[in-house]
Amino acid sequence: MILLTSLGDGYVRRALLEVVIVGVLCGAVGVHVVLRRLSFLTTALTHATFPGVVIATLLGLGLVLGAGVFGVLLVAVVAALTGPRGAEHGRETTSVTAVVLSGGFALGMALMSTQEGFSRDLTAFLVGSVLTVQPSDLVVSAVTAAVVLGMLAALRKELHLAAFDPDALAAAGYPARRLDLVLLLALEATVVTSLPAVGTIMAVALIVGPAATARLWCSRTSTMTAVAIGVGVASGVIGLAVSEQWNVAAGGAIVLSVAAFFMTSLVLRSLPWGELAVAVVGRRKSAGRPTYSG
Amino acid sequence: MSRPAAIVFDQASIAYGRVPALEQVHGTVRRGEIVALVGPNGAGKSTLIKALLGLVPVASGSITVLGQAPAQARRLVAYVPQADTLDPDFPISVAQVVLMGRYRRIGWLRPPGRADRDAAAEALAAVGLAHRAADRFGTLSGGQRQRVLLARAIAAQPEALLLDEPFNGVDAVSQEALLDTIKTLAAGGAAVVVSTHDLGLAQLTCDGICLLNRHQFGFGPPADVLTPDLLRAAYGGAALELGDRGLIVARS
Repeated sequence: MILLTSLGDGYVRRALLEVVIVGVLCGAVGVHVVLRRLSFLTTALTHATFPGVVIATLLGLGLVLGAGVFGVLLVAVVAALTGPRGAEHGRETTSVTAVVLSGGFALGMALMSTQEGFSRDLTAFLVGSVLTVQPSDLVVSAVTAAVVLGMLAALRKELHLAAFDPDALAAAGYPARRLDLVLLLALEATVVTSLPAVGTIMAVALIVGPAATARLWCSRTSTMTAVAIGVGVASGVIGLAVSEQWNVAAGGAIVLSVAAFFMTSLVLRSLPWGELAVAVVGRRKSAGRPTYSG
Repeated sequence: MSRPAAIVFDQASIAYGRVPALEQVHGTVRRGEIVALVGPNGAGKSTLIKALLGLVPVASGSITVLGQAPAQARRLVAYVPQADTLDPDFPISVAQVVLMGRYRRIGWLRPPGRADRDAAAEALAAVGLAHRAADRFGTLSGGQRQRVLLARAIAAQPEALLLDEPFNGVDAVSQEALLDTIKTLAAGGAAVVVSTHDLGLAQLTCDGICLLNRHQFGFGPPADVLTPDLLRAAYGGAALELGDRGLIVARS
């Protein structure tokens, strides 16, 4: 494999490290996105983060910093307009999200079109260029991943309850809205962190895809998280290998790997023995000691 | 001598913005009592439960829960939602659902401990589903899921228990198990408020009835509230001619 032989190159090592970090982060955050049915909101966030990236470039700011600041601003707007669970609640908030999505994207396009060499940069923003990841990007990714994963672990019980039964969460007196906001910020941080590797458009696939794949196979949130992280990392590494081997765009190859995992799982699960496999795994679990883990 | 009051409604009215949802609820639920909220669809039963949880504000009058404002009393109150409002495909075990009842006691950042697991296991046994602990929540029947949610509420060791239509679409075995558990909890000193469509069940099992339709038509012992006149007033004449609701009225 060319990926192995080219590991001697610094940029390939950095790319590999980046896809692993992003794979772990997206897998873990994606579980919450999928369980709360926030996929559409995530799509909106990734698209609307795009103008932030463009503005950051135009102003000569760091790409991640600019996108991050814009993203936080955007989270505030979406939260104020629809509430963080807005995507679930009927057409009206969905429409708001859709307008934010296309509006943000259009703003990014308009700003970009004022610049020279715009189509080349556009591609980098939209689908990412993991092979040009800088050591500073790696540091940002690692720090973001550590903070977000730490937060998800610390608020594990509460986020689990919020996803399963938001009414009970509110009834128990938890600050439900603030918890939602924290998750939304974590999601936006994940989107921004994934930008160098897969770009704004494909980030949503890397967040939703591995978790949606894991959802097909798992009957516990803990195993679902583990599988989602596994699929996220595997997709990144496989995509990078394919990219090195056949000289295709890394971002595209990574997302295609995610899609392949998902579609394969979907087909396998729809087969009669796919159902059986899950039942057997489930029965083996039931036979063991009941787990009262949080 | 009567038992101490747990929930006191004092001419309480609830409104969403300027639109009044429920007016002039007045009465007392004592510790150890089971009180049914009864009324047609849209009568304001769920609204009243939300008000007891402090999730909708009281526009005028007051509601006192365990001597405090509803929002302050939440840690002492457990709420049982309708099981069919929850995603049956959610990847979670029965045991994990019950353990959620302990989260508020455990507090932020700390994992569940031995005592929490024991309380959860005990609560699940109380609703007769200890053998299903390791199964995925969604694989249970509707009635069994409702029992699991009751177990979650019991695990919180509440002083007041609020149930929203727990008997809807529940099989006879599960209904029996739910009723037994609720009665046991009340016997232990908890105040129980349960909304239901089932007038017969309310009459047979509850100590008090709160008859609602946008405002209160009666609050007191079943014999005083489930009368033909009050039921006709609350439900409107037409509803009484149909189904077993008419039978109840005919008998009383």
